[in-house]
Amino acid sequence: MADTKKDLLLKIRDLRIEGYSDEKWLEIVHGIDLTLHKGEVMGLIGESGAGKSTIGLAAMGFARDGCRISGGSIEFDGMELTTTSESDRRALRGSRIAYVAQSAAASFNPAHKIIDQHTEAPIHYRIRKRLEAQEDAMELYERLRLPNPQEIGFRYPHQVSGGQLQRAMTAMAMACRPDLIIFDEPTTALDVTTQIEVLAAIRDIVEQFNTAAIYITHDLAVVAQMADTIKVLLKGNEVEEADTETMLSNPKEDYTKSLWAVRSFKREQKERPGGGAVPVVSVQNVDASYGDTPVLHDVSFDIYAGMTVAVVGESGSGKSTTARCITGLLPPSSGKIVMNGVEMPPGYKQRSKEQLRQAQMIYQMADTALNPKVRICDIIGRPAQFYMGLKGGALKSRVDELLDLIELEPSKYYSRYPTELSGGQKQRIGIARALAAEPNFIICDEVTSALDQLVAEGILKLLDRLQKELNLAYMFITHDLATVRSIADEVVVMKQGEVVDSGPKNEMFTPPHHPYTDLLLSSVPEMDPNWLTTVLEERGVDNIGEAATV
Amino acid sequence: MSDVLSIVLKRLGLGLITLLVISILIFFAVELLPGDIAQAVLGQGATEENLKALREQLGLNQPAIFRYLEWLGGAVQGDFGVSLISGRSVAETIGPRFAATLFLASYAAVIAVPIAILLGIIVALLRDSIFDRVANVLTLTSISSPEFFLGYVLILYLAVKNPWFPALANVNFQDIGTVELYYRTFLPALTMVLVVVAHMMRMTRASIINLLASPYIEMARLKGTPAWKVIVKHALPNAWAPIINVVALNLAYLITGVVLVEVVFVYPGIGQLLVDSVTKRDFPVVQACCLIFAATFILLNLAADVGAILTNPRLRHPK
Amino acid sequence: MNYFVIGYYALLIGASCLAAYYSVRSAFLLLFSLTLVSFIVGIVGGESALWTITICAGILALCIGTAYAFREFLVIVLWGEGSKAIKTAPLTATFGLFVIMTYAIAGIFAPIIAPYGEAEVIAGAFAPADENMLLGADQLGRDLFSRLVFGARNTVGIALLATTFAFVLGALAGLIAATLGGFFDNLMSRVVDVIMSVPSLIFALLLLSIMGTNAFVLIFIIAIIYAPRVFRLTRAVAGNVVVMDYIEAARLRGEGLWYLIRREILPNSTAPLIAEFGLEFCFVFLLVAGLSFLGLGIQPPTADWGSMVRENATLISFGEITPLFPAGAIALLTVAVNFVVDWMLFRSSGLKG
Repeated sequence: MADTKKDLLLKIRDLRIEGYSDEKWLEIVHGIDLTLHKGEVMGLIGESGAGKSTIGLAAMGFARDGCRISGGSIEFDGMELTTTSESDRRALRGSRIAYVAQSAAASFNPAHKIIDQHTEAPIHYRIRKRLEAQEDAMELYERLRLPNPQEIGFRYPHQVSGGQLQRAMTAMAMACRPDLIIFDEPTTALDVTTQIEVLAAIRDIVEQFNTAAIYITHDLAVVAQMADTIKVLLKGNEVEEADTETMLSNPKEDYTKSLWAVRSFKREQKERPGGGAVPVVSVQNVDASYGDTPVLHDVSFDIYAGMTVAVVGESGSGKSTTARCITGLLPPSSGKIVMNGVEMPPGYKQRSKEQLRQAQMIYQMADTALNPKVRICDIIGRPAQFYMGLKGGALKSRVDELLDLIELEPSKYYSRYPTELSGGQKQRIGIARALAAEPNFIICDEVTSALDQLVAEGILKLLDRLQKELNLAYMFITHDLATVRSIADEVVVMKQGEVVDSGPKNEMFTPPHHPYTDLLLSSVPEMDPNWLTTVLEERGVDNIGEAATV
Repeated sequence: MSDVLSIVLKRLGLGLITLLVISILIFFAVELLPGDIAQAVLGQGATEENLKALREQLGLNQPAIFRYLEWLGGAVQGDFGVSLISGRSVAETIGPRFAATLFLASYAAVIAVPIAILLGIIVALLRDSIFDRVANVLTLTSISSPEFFLGYVLILYLAVKNPWFPALANVNFQDIGTVELYYRTFLPALTMVLVVVAHMMRMTRASIINLLASPYIEMARLKGTPAWKVIVKHALPNAWAPIINVVALNLAYLITGVVLVEVVFVYPGIGQLLVDSVTKRDFPVVQACCLIFAATFILLNLAADVGAILTNPRLRHPK
Repeated sequence: MNYFVIGYYALLIGASCLAAYYSVRSAFLLLFSLTLVSFIVGIVGGESALWTITICAGILALCIGTAYAFREFLVIVLWGEGSKAIKTAPLTATFGLFVIMTYAIAGIFAPIIAPYGEAEVIAGAFAPADENMLLGADQLGRDLFSRLVFGARNTVGIALLATTFAFVLGALAGLIAATLGGFFDNLMSRVVDVIMSVPSLIFALLLLSIMGTNAFVLIFIIAIIYAPRVFRLTRAVAGNVVVMDYIEAARLRGEGLWYLIRREILPNSTAPLIAEFGLEFCFVFLLVAGLSFLGLGIQPPTADWGSMVRENATLISFGEITPLFPAGAIALLTVAVNFVVDWMLFRSSGLKG
């Protein structure tokens, strides 16, 4: 890959960008350098707020409303973008630099057919005539392995699925055979099994046309598949840059190392208690529907005290709905929920205080899970007050005790508001609120997926410690198999409202698998840069297009 | 298309039901009167015989449901009964006045709609500039002023201090020519234009800005599409629904605003008639006027909804 | 051509050039477009039109000055969050606050401020202004200024009362509907749809014709008409809060309806609700004024701005601006409230995202 004869395409020096908020301009990108050669793919990686998208757009000489490029230089193929006229800059967009947005569904104009939006740029730049451009579009659709390439372009965006739309957008970016494409998190909104097809399609087409690309993402494993070099960003600053191999095997900075550290946390798999132990929660043949739409069919599994059952599946598989049935938010249409041998009334309104207390929930988004207008002491104290009737001094010491339990210093956090806390701290408060009810069962709904790697790891360790101390049963809803590997005792795989596979974790992760489990497992990107190639070879490229429809 | 058709039909049906409920409301509101209509009309000093005679004449001896059905049946055919005061047929009294009001409202609308939409789009494109801020203050001032304030200011400056237009628009439709008619009714029309343009401009601006913030507009800009083409090709086809909505809502607003303007300029419209009838407690006329206003209002809202449905690309091209 | 006209244009063009020289873009655009407009207006309307523009500009400058001074005053007087918020407030908002404060003082201390009684006849009909009467007398010879001051109490008071009434009714129903959902929510939404499909002024006229006109009936009717609007908004605002996970957590804890509303939902919807209160007040106020103007609202001899406009309307045809004072008083308050609401809406939307 290290071809030194490549020509320079993009040279950014000391780029500074300001954003407008609270009536003043604040610098959000602090002097970034970036060098990209023709045909080279660079991955920009960082957490949300790192300035990745802003930098990507700046490479096109573009700043969103409320942002402005305040300093530095952006040189594209010898042309200085910060000083040229807007019309010259515009002439580059679409023709020599193209953009692929995160949400294809929102970025295609609903009023026009896909192919008309595709041919807009080539016709505008007089690169191709309409018919030619349409022919070319169909060819690109074919190369990107879209179904019915001759016909799909004549549909409207809302008539096409998300994964296909994302590929159509990549085709659109290719319409003028640009020198550079900015990919702004193109697969983030997609499910893993769809993501793999889109990744493969993007990688192939970029290689075929020898296009340079900036690939923006927060997913390390994805960027490892796509990029030649990786640049790590943190809060508008560069942390480090290196070629992919070096970056993965030998990162220099601590921050990068922390990102790279593959889940070090692993624990022993526990076995079900034998001898007629009663499960804490038993879901028995549950069917459920939203209105007339059935969402769950014949779901059954048991969770025993002190054990963690991970429920995995893609979006729409019914894993969260199952949780709603257990808590009684969505009364099942048939089947039953049994807790500690007692059948629960279907709806939460019919359940007694004592029954409600037994099962608690921790949510994915700590931001929406904590009332921003209520102090921490009241958030944690309310369940203790409500269920145990604690008051005054007893309540205060209970709250202190709970804060200690989640490793937050009571004196410091007792009377703060949630908005003053970091994401990880908020999630801990959510855990404390659940513990305050002294439950024996907790549902964890994607509790780590909104958090950064290190913070997530801390939360997992905390949950594990609490489980050991308090003998809690967890139902762990997640789509992240790495999390499953580290924390689960048993795994339940769901697809379209049904349980397709279940069993102890070790069995689930060793072949032979159920076909869907296999597809799911093999679609999760791994840190190995050759992963995508290997998987595609294993599956045989032709299968890719059908993966979504399996 | 059948999908769209069923949605539109559903919406029409809903409008019809609403209108029916409104008619019930209007009819039975009068039944809430302490005593009954006869007593309310004749007052405290009425003799028992007079009351009896009037009750007989109004058919008050029959049950309310029966009278409602009779009233509704008449209303559907354009017969609203007889005025308690003048004894003339309500339909005959209202007819020409309703026509006059429609004339004034459409006069104002024809001027206001294009100006407002154009200005709204311009202001949206120039957002956060000095013009936008000035326009914001001006339109806010205009919608905050009562119609009669604007009306009297216009009279003072355009009719009294500079006698360019007649202050009063108590026109008689039969006697004057078309040009004269437009001239004589210019001030009331202008008053309504001022209020409605302000409203419409603000709403157009808001919906256009909302539209310009969508990712597909950014995508179009990132494809190198020139600014005018972004507006014409990418924004406009999606802007019809909000614009139709704005127009219909403001036409509905014109219908209400017209009452005050007619009184200020002594214009012989239905609003003026309604106010007179309310003062004189001429219930059949009040009921009829209310029903007509409500029906127009519902119709315009219906038009807005149907327009939005018909211009929605997602509904026009179903999966 | 006289000195005024020459001076007028010289000043404008000079100021435009200065603005251009110091590259103050917005000031230049404003001044120069004013110059261009003046050319047209001057040609059509002559010198008097230019005088009008000058007077308007003067009044505007005065307003801006007041707003600026009042903002500085508030920044010093207030403390903590309030002071910080005011510091970044636009001048229109502080101008609005200033006007609202003035009206409040006039309304509360009306008997002290007004030189004469509300219904006191002290001069001949339509007597012109003199040293006793700031604005002259009305059609019965009552002091117009005194009646204006009392009007602040009556008109604004009734509008405020009606709005509060409508708000309590609508907001409560809206919060309950959003929290309960299901049947109650659907039923209320249908009822509200029906009531809102009749224009408010027309509905008010219908009810007034039946119930007769007095202040209590007026307040009651307006509350009935506006409560649905408040309901719809509260329902929408609370609807955004109800879907939050912390509400779900509270529900699953087994909390009751009242706790959910009071502790979880209400604290998170106050900002938009306060702004909505201002907006509703404007509508109600205009409706009260409109009804009074039609002779169907507040009844004489109570001083009220709407009916004052109607009573003095004949003066307009003699070129007198007297009837415009009560009308202007109505407009000014509505504008002021709208300015403040505009700012609050901007703030609450800005804070969210």
